[in-house]
Amino acid sequence: MTQRYLILADGSAYPGKAFGSLATTTGELVANSTMNGYQEIISNQIYHNQIIVFTQSSIGNTGLDQNAYESVLPSAKGVIVREYENLATDHFKRISLDRYLKQHRIPGIYDVDTREIRHRLQKYGNMMASIVDVADDHAFDQLHATVLTNQQVAQVATPKPYPNPDEGDNVVVVDFGLKSGILRELSRRNCNVTVVPWNSTSEMILDLDPDGIVLSTGPGAPSNLPESVLKMITEIQSQAPLFAIGLGHELFALANQAKVSKLRVEHHGANHPIREIITNEIFFSGQEQGYAVDPKSIDHAKLFITHVDLVNGTVQGLRHRDFPAFSVQFSPDGAPGPKDSVDLFDDFMEIMERRRDENGSRY
Amino acid sequence: MMGKIILDKMAMQRALTRITYEIVEKNKGVEDLVLIGIKTRGIFLANRIADRLQQLENVTIPVGELDITNYRDDIEHDSMSIDVKMSNNKIDFSIEGKRVILVDDVLYTGRTVRAALSAVMDLGRPKSINLAVLVDRGHRELPIRADFVGKNIPSSQKEKIKVYVSEIDDKDAVELIK
Repeated sequence: MTQRYLILADGSAYPGKAFGSLATTTGELVANSTMNGYQEIISNQIYHNQIIVFTQSSIGNTGLDQNAYESVLPSAKGVIVREYENLATDHFKRISLDRYLKQHRIPGIYDVDTREIRHRLQKYGNMMASIVDVADDHAFDQLHATVLTNQQVAQVATPKPYPNPDEGDNVVVVDFGLKSGILRELSRRNCNVTVVPWNSTSEMILDLDPDGIVLSTGPGAPSNLPESVLKMITEIQSQAPLFAIGLGHELFALANQAKVSKLRVEHHGANHPIREIITNEIFFSGQEQGYAVDPKSIDHAKLFITHVDLVNGTVQGLRHRDFPAFSVQFSPDGAPGPKDSVDLFDDFMEIMERRRDENGSRY
Repeated sequence: MMGKIILDKMAMQRALTRITYEIVEKNKGVEDLVLIGIKTRGIFLANRIADRLQQLENVTIPVGELDITNYRDDIEHDSMSIDVKMSNNKIDFSIEGKRVILVDDVLYTGRTVRAALSAVMDLGRPKSINLAVLVDRGHRELPIRADFVGKNIPSSQKEKIKVYVSEIDDKDAVELIK
């Protein structure tokens, strides 16, 4: 096995053995502590330009499932694992993690103490890293000189609208780099979905006569997106029920004058209990977040805080006081992670149903 | 008699949560808000909404209990005996100028709500009265509609809708019995 290195911006280097692609890459280093679901994690566009460190000790041991991808073209920059298993357990025994990573030019390294890296991140905060063949001065110089794009959403979101037809509620999904789980949950509820680009105007969206609108998850900082996106949100939130997730939640908060800041250490895992304030119920969910809404910045005359993370106190959900518009930071579709909160999609359906009853348009 | 569960515990909780948010949305806050539950199960549902408002806004919304037995148009009684009418109510606050949310489990013919409206109006002059119901099953006989609905359940008049609340029943559920 080829020896390769994960090198970190703080000067440390971790030797390991190569799997997947042999590409040399640079990205932001994030640790994910979820026990299962490496396929969903690696294919989630939220990891655009990021190198994923798995603290779960054995990765690759369930192969890849045809029905569990979260995007078509994954854009993570690397996969770091403790122990790697090259199994293919899909129906035809075709796709293993190694093959998948090679297909998508994503390098992997195994035999690395990933939990040590997790501790390092906790201690020193988020940092950049590279996967390289030789850990010499030149490689570190390259790492320090690399500037990652701030146009992540434009890189992974659809440039053109496309339909996902069905016969139920007419839902417009604004794509900021969505994970397929959102579309799956809407399909399960027979929604007639149109996915539109992240830079769609409110006029384009409302012209589709939506029963409801979803703002999707996506990679990077919400502040990287232009002011026009926030304007679009303020214009649609009063016109149709709105459900915003992940990056969509951060943008919904910004559009309503709250502030969003980067977490010192990104949180990726399904290990934080979340409290729903109104019922005082506690549940778990998959969380992949680099940013969080600042609770002090929230105008309580405009927004309710609906959910909080009980470990770090971060805002996990918001709801507008005047409109049926709500948002969550976590992934209610699971994929991976618990599906405790998947009924938020049912809430969304019921809000759309109530709207229709009131308007009397279909009864 | 076959019972089919239309709303389970989770769905019931969700419906009450959504109704709570909608009440705040529609009333632009919780100022002057009072909840009045109609006899047995409406009272428990009103209390659950009050609990949610307490969690959400950190305010204690008064909850009254209304017994409309003596206002029903299908029971003969001496309509002059006001004392008897009030006997089973527990409304220890003034409704003068308040935004009243009437809460009941099932909206059907509308006759219960009509009776509740008369009973409330006898107590004073509220600023407004809204109606919140867990289930709207249709078949109205009076021009009455709900402002907040947990679930519309189009039903046949031959069917029965049974609401269970864990406070007095063994579970939280709504069943359709054919």
